[in-house]
Amino acid sequence: MTRKDKTPTDSAEPAARKGVNRRTMLKGAAAVAGVAIGSKAITGFPTIWAQEIKDITLTHVGMSYSTIIEIAKQASKDLGFKVEMAVTDHPGFVTRVTTQPESVDVADGEIRQRLQMVPRGVLQGVETKKIKLWDKVTPIYTKGEFAGKPTSRSGVSPFEVMYLDSKEGTKFHDGATEWATMLPGVYNADTLGMRPDLITRPIDSWAELVNPEFKGKTAIQDIPEIGILDAAMALQAAGKVKYNDMGEMTKEEIDATIEALIELKKAGHFRALWNTFDQSVQLMAAGEVVIQSMWSPAVTAVRSQGKACQYVPLKEGYRGWGNGISLMKHLSGKKLDAAYEYLNWYLSGWMGGFIAKQGYYISVPETAKAFMTDDEWGYWYEGKAAQNDITNPTGDKMESAGAKRDGGSYEDRFSKIVVWNTFMKEAVYMNKRWNDFRTA
Amino acid sequence: MAGRTTHKKREWTFYVLAAFFVLFVIFLYGPMFSIYVLSFQGPNAGLTFPMQGFSLHWFAALFGQARTGDIGGAFGRSIPLAIIVLSLTVVISVSAGLAFRRRFFGATPLFYVAVASLIVPGLVLSIGIGQGFTVLGLRTAWWSSALGAHLSWTLPFGLLIMFAVLARFNPALEEAARDQGATNVQVLRYVVIPILFPGIIAVALFGFTLSYDEFPRSWVTAGTKNTLPLEIWTMVTNITSPALYALATVTTAISFIIIAVSLGAIAMIQRRRSGQPKRKTAGG
Amino acid sequence: MQSSTPARRGRTYFQVAPLTIALFVFVVIPLIMILTVSFFTFDFVIGAQPSFIFDNFVEVLTDSNTLSLYGATLKFAAIVWALTLFIGFWIAYFLAFHIRNLLIAIGLFLLCTVPFWTSNVIRMISWIPLLGKEGLINQALMGIGIVNEPVEWLLFSEFAVILCYVNLFTLFMIVPIFNSMARIDRSLVEAARDAGAGRLRIMTEVIVPLSKSGIALGSVFVVALTMGDFFVVKIMGGGRSANVVSAMFDDIGILNYPHAGAQAVVLLIVVTLIVTAIMRVVDVRKELAQAR
Repeated sequence: MTRKDKTPTDSAEPAARKGVNRRTMLKGAAAVAGVAIGSKAITGFPTIWAQEIKDITLTHVGMSYSTIIEIAKQASKDLGFKVEMAVTDHPGFVTRVTTQPESVDVADGEIRQRLQMVPRGVLQGVETKKIKLWDKVTPIYTKGEFAGKPTSRSGVSPFEVMYLDSKEGTKFHDGATEWATMLPGVYNADTLGMRPDLITRPIDSWAELVNPEFKGKTAIQDIPEIGILDAAMALQAAGKVKYNDMGEMTKEEIDATIEALIELKKAGHFRALWNTFDQSVQLMAAGEVVIQSMWSPAVTAVRSQGKACQYVPLKEGYRGWGNGISLMKHLSGKKLDAAYEYLNWYLSGWMGGFIAKQGYYISVPETAKAFMTDDEWGYWYEGKAAQNDITNPTGDKMESAGAKRDGGSYEDRFSKIVVWNTFMKEAVYMNKRWNDFRTA
Repeated sequence: MAGRTTHKKREWTFYVLAAFFVLFVIFLYGPMFSIYVLSFQGPNAGLTFPMQGFSLHWFAALFGQARTGDIGGAFGRSIPLAIIVLSLTVVISVSAGLAFRRRFFGATPLFYVAVASLIVPGLVLSIGIGQGFTVLGLRTAWWSSALGAHLSWTLPFGLLIMFAVLARFNPALEEAARDQGATNVQVLRYVVIPILFPGIIAVALFGFTLSYDEFPRSWVTAGTKNTLPLEIWTMVTNITSPALYALATVTTAISFIIIAVSLGAIAMIQRRRSGQPKRKTAGG
Repeated sequence: MQSSTPARRGRTYFQVAPLTIALFVFVVIPLIMILTVSFFTFDFVIGAQPSFIFDNFVEVLTDSNTLSLYGATLKFAAIVWALTLFIGFWIAYFLAFHIRNLLIAIGLFLLCTVPFWTSNVIRMISWIPLLGKEGLINQALMGIGIVNEPVEWLLFSEFAVILCYVNLFTLFMIVPIFNSMARIDRSLVEAARDAGAGRLRIMTEVIVPLSKSGIALGSVFVVALTMGDFFVVKIMGGGRSANVVSAMFDDIGILNYPHAGAQAVVLLIVVTLIVTAIMRVVDVRKELAQAR
């Protein structure tokens, strides 16, 4: 058996050892350095004196999909100071970061939330020199390109909110500087989920979300900024609404979208708009809905209940989203040093290996590789069929041997992102119109 | 409900209303039944019927803190918080309720502030309190800002329930006791509290329950450590696990045990004291 | 009027001081902040900026959306109020007049309270296995043959929202009414009966008038709870309905505090007017003073 049986929480040592064994297999000296940093056994964290930092507590605030208690436990163990996770929801996150900045040390929010945090001056720049693996960070964030091609700039693309003018800057800088707004974190490409047992014909377009064939059996998410993007992808694919830039709709485009949605709603097209992850799982698992906007762990959750569910790759492409970790302005001295230690740890592999099992990608994939089995790496990143059962971060079985990840490899997915999660300039107007849709 | 000892024959209205009450309880527990049943599912289970296997897996998952979030820790904060809120709510509302029987300067504005406190949307108030703490350079935490936020929620309930309890409660009783030389504490202990006892229980129950289950006002006032409703809310935004149902089943079971034991104990104490009638109706 | 000696007056202020302080710190100050922010300007990029404009209020008041949101909210409030009043009154009456043992009454109250010790979030999720298209009720209905197709409007509908409100809020009607009824002198009822009054007359001329402060207070609770809710409408409505506070939640998501603040102030005024109207019908505080 090549698969690790232990849960990730207590697997740091074997994984580190494995990293060493595997060194020979990795190409390039830089990658070796990355693995070495990732392995406590070799260099060890932290590099600042343990005596001075042991009383430090770093508060990591974020949403539940990336702010996971196991990560804090492992980090505290590896780093010698305490990392604490404070979990909240999206609006709670921006509210806390902007109105109670002192209560947050590192802010782990969505890329697009930089639009809300940076101009309000609550952050300080991340000095890229101090991030050892900065050169290894995926160019999706740092250069705005992927696999040699520029990524979509529609919506809030990671690159356009990546850099600051200066450490205390409150304006984004177009192009790389040595001050980053965030340490790139987890990210993913979202699409529609469907029940292949209940829809037997192939589905290959977002247009199917508004196809009358599925009347009463579809759902979209009720988070206005994201829901409208899913709707727009579908409406554009169906030829009902045309957008100049979907990620930055004009009032007219918003109106057209909402009118189309209201019309669909009046025709009974949507079974529901879902508000929680949990609802999306239940709707799908119960068969009340056969195609809907969905998040990747929700698809997994439906499957783990023994119901067929597919995160279906669509020809129009994916809606991308990602997270980044920002440093709060009040950090200074030893605490700031500790925060940098933590950021470096974050990219060093354990976290990447952990979060991959939740279906998300990490900004430095090659270090994560050392913390995954070959089979897991093949399944999650390369789109290969699993040779053994695939387990989730807590060690429960998620997929049986032979299963393949929907959408194929990392490369396949990220070269097809067409729009990023966003806040539009017309956000106020859009919210208002979305309420019209709700009350219609 | 007075301490009438003669057992008259029940009227037909009793049976009709008893049936209505039973239906109401079934309705109250309606969704809970599916929770209880579904919490005993096997490991690969969801939150809907049909049942997938049978096991105690999710109860184990509840105590082994895995990806289910820090339920244990959140519980360990929500219970003490609810008990503190309960105590403060009882003391403050009973005291204020007694005062409101007389006219005093500012009574009307105070009454309307209490009503406003009931009405103002919790999310907005939560932001306001959080911001207030920031301005003062204080950290939000469950035992400070969230405690205050919860009081802003429970006190109006406590006060208004006291209004119902105290309506037509005759202050002459207190005055008489005082005239006979009873101290304030004695008046409270021997006159006021015994008469108001059922009302105080109601206020205490409200204080506890409203605090324990409060989401909006805890939203950004709880600080780094979440209270139970916040923890559960953040959980359902990312995972879906029958462990949540197991939590509900355990909570209910423990509640019933505590209630049964304490009511049994009270009944026993009452029986031991029998001979002297415990309660009497306090008329106006 | 009672003669108020200085000592008595002093005692009154002493008794009311804790409430005053708590409400001042945790309600009045935040409310002043909310009111202040509601006059600020808002820009998505830089956020709320100190100013003194009425635009937010003008927007809230002139927006066609506001009318439909208040329409939806008031409709929910009215329906839920009627239902909880009916159910709550009879349950309270049963507990107050038919349960003769205080301990049993408390036990029954606790029985009604226990579901509330399971988080609202979980309880709302748990309606789905009951009311969903493949839920127990639909299976039962189809099993008996009442319907052939699963009934859809059981879940993610206004029906579901109202059902959930009644489930959650009836207790808030029962408790004050019960406490009012508990204070009714049983000899009054006996006397009325001895004087030959029928059930209906005892009900309308003795019990209802004497429990009206409880009814009024319960109504205040239910109206305030329904109009202040956003959770039930979001989760049970399946995004098919919205109310004032759920719209406010979206404002908060984009940090549009000025608009949310103005919205909150308007809601506060509207609901306070409703409460004032209720207090006009039944002056609860006068009932207190009547004690003498």
